[in-house]
Amino acid sequence: MKDKMPVLTRRDFIRGTVGVTLGASVFGLQWPKAEARAAATSLVTVVRDKNAMDSAKNIDITVLEKMLTETLTKVTGQKKTKDAWLSLVKPNDVIGLVPTDHLNPTHDEVVEVVKNSLMDAGIPEDRIRDAQGPRNAKKCDTLIAIPGLKAHWLTGVGTVLKNYIMYSGSPSSYHKSNSAKLGEIWNLPFVKGKTKLVLVDSLYPLCDKGPQPDPRYQWNYNGLIAGTDPVAVETVCLKIITEKRKAIRGEPWPLSPPPICVEAADRVYGLGTSRMEQIQIQHYGWEDELLL
Amino acid sequence: MNADKSNLPKTVGVWNRLESLRIINSKNIFKYMNGAGELYLGYRFRHLEVFDYTSAEQGNILVELYFMESPDDAFGLLSLDWGGEPVSFDGAPAATCKKSFTSPTRALYGGGLSRMWSDNMYARIMAERETPASKKAVITIGKAIAGNTQHPPEPLLVKILPLEIGGVWNLRMDRLSFFRSHLVLNSIYYLSHENILDLDLSAEAVIAPYEYIPGSGNPKRSQFLLVKYENPERAHQALNRFHDAYLPGYKKEITAETAADSPSLFKLEDGWIGYKLIGKHIAIVFESPDPESARIILQKNESNLLKKGGGS
Repeated sequence: MKDKMPVLTRRDFIRGTVGVTLGASVFGLQWPKAEARAAATSLVTVVRDKNAMDSAKNIDITVLEKMLTETLTKVTGQKKTKDAWLSLVKPNDVIGLVPTDHLNPTHDEVVEVVKNSLMDAGIPEDRIRDAQGPRNAKKCDTLIAIPGLKAHWLTGVGTVLKNYIMYSGSPSSYHKSNSAKLGEIWNLPFVKGKTKLVLVDSLYPLCDKGPQPDPRYQWNYNGLIAGTDPVAVETVCLKIITEKRKAIRGEPWPLSPPPICVEAADRVYGLGTSRMEQIQIQHYGWEDELLL
Repeated sequence: MNADKSNLPKTVGVWNRLESLRIINSKNIFKYMNGAGELYLGYRFRHLEVFDYTSAEQGNILVELYFMESPDDAFGLLSLDWGGEPVSFDGAPAATCKKSFTSPTRALYGGGLSRMWSDNMYARIMAERETPASKKAVITIGKAIAGNTQHPPEPLLVKILPLEIGGVWNLRMDRLSFFRSHLVLNSIYYLSHENILDLDLSAEAVIAPYEYIPGSGNPKRSQFLLVKYENPERAHQALNRFHDAYLPGYKKEITAETAADSPSLFKLEDGWIGYKLIGKHIAIVFESPDPESARIILQKNESNLLKKGGGS
């Protein structure tokens, strides 16, 4: 076995050698050291409202609009929604909205509220498109990722990074240890640098991995989680899912398989930070079961 | 099989079944459910029939009937999660799996979703909105599906595992799963992203923790895995591969093939691991607090396996 490639195993996670093993077996390069990345802070906002969705899963659009306004102003530091949008996108941009369409899909109401808010900010309707799928993304100048918060049975977490998997044209290539490579999709020429906002629909998350939704593992979190750093947003989502799982079982219930794509998106692809000490979480509104 | 043969009612409460039936096979399962299809292909999947019940006031009810190669495969799908409320259908006992596998759980309900095992069929019946009326409808549909079907016993491999070992270790039957695929194994207990146990559809495997609750302090757990391969050669080959991937740098000792031989034991970062090759079976125990616990769990399982004629 000495001459063979090392295999990523459970033991790597216990020993803290995931990076070394993945570097040798998947990436064919040295796993960049944590110290190599300049320390920076990424802001992630968590805006929640108890009344955003009721127990029958009816969404209050007015409440959702207010949550989006608060999210945009807090993420950008602007006072008005219009200014917030225009600090993220250009008025002439073709803007692609990228919801998730399967396994706890993004609520239509969330997409609609985002679209209406952009139009209120002066973006013409014909410049706002559904950009799920590679053909649509190529025609866009700017992308707004709007995934639903969920765990995933093949990749551990399936929220932000996995939201662009169809852009790869070969989603099955990102199974097994290759799920660590999900971050590379964000660096494809027609994707790189286009994502100006990640807005996670966390009204009704799914904390077990599926593969199909099981309502016992879904709950009213009634939130929007947002930021401009996709890895930081994913890391906060991961924390919420992990804490909810622990609360359900009353003991640690780790995601299985472990979500190796998140740390790799940070350390290999430089998409953002997965280190909680570099993430500034600001939460507003309803605080029950915040899980952070 | 179709709607008539599965006895699905046309009307349940305020829900009406649409005439259209969707049939999904292994070629188009990914189109139907994306990557989730891997789960069903990880068992011996034949086809899926999908029915829709609609109600203007109460939301829809989705019925998915997964037809599998054998009852073992259908049992395996249910065994991935024993949570929920056991449901009794006509002629099928609703015993909770915490008692005994001699009266196995056939159906579970929670949050509007019923999952059930009936002969070689695994079914999911899910109400869009959970209400007392939708729960009643889901159960009614489940009874119709279960009617006139056989209730075979759980897989033989599952019965090998002793419920209690040495008066100390108790099997967590509510965490016991039957599977064939390493992707499924990883969703239960992560070992490696690669298939280091050479699992495929010809293999059968069961995994469950044994738990020891001392007088004071936290419970101690040892994870036990038993895999049955097509033949002893495959088992030997798989154990070799497992050792190379999981225990590089440790001396390989895959010589134990009789009950008198000791298992191979190694001290790792998360406790003791032990394995033994038993004919066409591999038994592995993970995370044991000490070598004696690992040894006794392996020995007792081996003893049961040999008693039931599974050693060859």
